[in-house]
Amino acid sequence: MTRLFVVATSLLLALPSLALAATTEGAEEEFDPAHEWELQTWIDLPLGLDVNKAVAYVMLGTIVTCLLGIFLMRVKLGRDPDKRQALGEMVYEVAQVQVAEQGLPTKAIGRWFPYVATLMIFIWVVNMLGFIPLPLSDETVEIGGLDLPTLGIFAATSTLSVTLALALMTWIFTHVEGIRANGVGGYLKSWIPDVPRAMLPLIVPLEILGQFMRLISLSVRLYANMLAGHMLILTFIGLIFLTHWAVFPFSVLMGTVFYLFEVVIVVSIQAYIFAALSAIYIGSAIEPEH
Amino acid sequence: MLSSFFFLAETTGDVADAGKAIALALGIGLGALGAGVGIGNIFGSMIQAVARQPELRGELQGIQWLGFALTEAVVFYGLIGGLLAFVLI
Repeated sequence: MTRLFVVATSLLLALPSLALAATTEGAEEEFDPAHEWELQTWIDLPLGLDVNKAVAYVMLGTIVTCLLGIFLMRVKLGRDPDKRQALGEMVYEVAQVQVAEQGLPTKAIGRWFPYVATLMIFIWVVNMLGFIPLPLSDETVEIGGLDLPTLGIFAATSTLSVTLALALMTWIFTHVEGIRANGVGGYLKSWIPDVPRAMLPLIVPLEILGQFMRLISLSVRLYANMLAGHMLILTFIGLIFLTHWAVFPFSVLMGTVFYLFEVVIVVSIQAYIFAALSAIYIGSAIEPEH
Repeated sequence: MLSSFFFLAETTGDVADAGKAIALALGIGLGALGAGVGIGNIFGSMIQAVARQPELRGELQGIQWLGFALTEAVVFYGLIGGLLAFVLI
């Protein structure tokens, strides 16, 4: 626990260190944590395929997810499992027992387990990358004649576009699977609940609205969680620059507390929730309750 | 614009901005109140359930975290709605 605390504090201190090491050039502009979410185009590509900070983070997340999957799952099975195998089995078990079996019917697990497990690991990795100071930032600092990007914490999942794309994927798969399993008529009929006939004009629009609300709630939950977490940490660190040097211990302590809360609890919970809800939505489309 | 809300209120600033900031803070605070009650309820029930039947802990844990995240997200809907209103209006 002590070691964890030290690691988190030093990671946090690494954040403003580059900015402090730089000359006073950047100091005169007003500090605003919202600047972190103004994405500048890095590489201009046609068809809106521009690369900016969030895209870079998603790409990095994809690579790390693939490497993590290979590292954890491609293990030579031994008689005594080593740490790597144990960790891989733990991740697999969470994905299998807690996520897939909770939502998906047994016949659909074979087809949809890979999707929900990938979602879980991918979102976890992207969330986690957001809390490691990386030299991927829009601002640069001049050290020894070189323009280096400042260290920044930024999660790709704290932009609505990324989470909306993930939620849209689940949403489309839900309806495709529902139609594939029940037929168009059967699937649409499953939206209509068992209520007295007179209530139907009131209930059916709500049910249809509910289908779209899933899209919003799924994407906004992840987005707002990550946004609020980053905003909190940046705000507490930013207090140093805005008020007085005397708040340094207070702001670092509070920043570390929130940092640990985000890293230990929120990151994993949000990844798990997103995958579990995807599984539940897809499962409930395949096998409607009535 | 956001910075005026996040940090130091300027006495010479726009009164409308100050009003919006107060409304936003109050809205999020009240939203957090509800979610706080909900989250407390979830964990309280979980403690009771595990105290009664400790062997069910593993099965209950998944449901517990699901409920926790669903409840907690309510604050963030308030936050996003408040920020939208703050920035757009």
